[in-house]
Amino acid sequence: MTTDSISVVKVRDVLMVTVPAAPDDATVSDLQEQVLHAMADYEAKGLVLDISAVEILDSFFARTVAETTQMVGLMGGETVIAGMRPSVAITATQLGLTLGKARTALDVERALDLLGGL
Amino acid sequence: MPDKYAGRVRVESEGDIVTVRRAVRDAAKQVGFGVTDLTRIVTAASELTRNIYLYAGSGEVRWRELNAGRAPGIELVFEDQGPGIPDLELALEEGYTTSGGLGLGLPGARRLMDEMEIETEVGQGTTVTVRKWRR
Repeated sequence: MTTDSISVVKVRDVLMVTVPAAPDDATVSDLQEQVLHAMADYEAKGLVLDISAVEILDSFFARTVAETTQMVGLMGGETVIAGMRPSVAITATQLGLTLGKARTALDVERALDLLGGL
Repeated sequence: MPDKYAGRVRVESEGDIVTVRRAVRDAAKQVGFGVTDLTRIVTAASELTRNIYLYAGSGEVRWRELNAGRAPGIELVFEDQGPGIPDLELALEEGYTTSGGLGLGLPGARRLMDEMEIETEVGQGTTVTVRKWRR
């Protein structure tokens, strides 16, 4: 089983992370650590998690996203989840998932607007 | 395996959760489920497979197409020889967990599927069977 790699890209003051379609638990856990280190290294003020490719958002993923949002918050940053698919939104709601304090946006462009524009 | 849309996956590592998701998605697609139901089925499979891995360490996931009388459907069976569930009613309560998770697995999977049956015996193991019918 190959692990999808996640790349963290900095655009101006914001970290952009594109989550692969079907990440396994290890990939999701790695993401958290990578993001937190990148926040410090790049002195970013915010994080955009692009989940438009994600087909499945299960409770492990949701918990990690909520935790990451909280940790980024402790470091003084804000998190926006961008691009959730309709089928994923329906399923996540029925499953009972919440994403903690993360804000959400329809797409990456709107997420960047939320974080103060570029 | 005579049935085209039946299969099984052994669950022994965390990576097998992804294997189950992929296989169940393919099977449910063959049965003709649309994208929203596909997402529901695969998400439920992900939760229940993770339960096997978290609580029992290993087990097996099986699935098969259903086409007896009613609309076509899919049945998924999650079987382990783990510790069993001492209080099933409690385990089906939202937010109850003994693994440090969110406690959404069982109650969430029940909401995402049309039917759920659980057989469990302490010290013997747990079998969770879920079904979804195509509309």
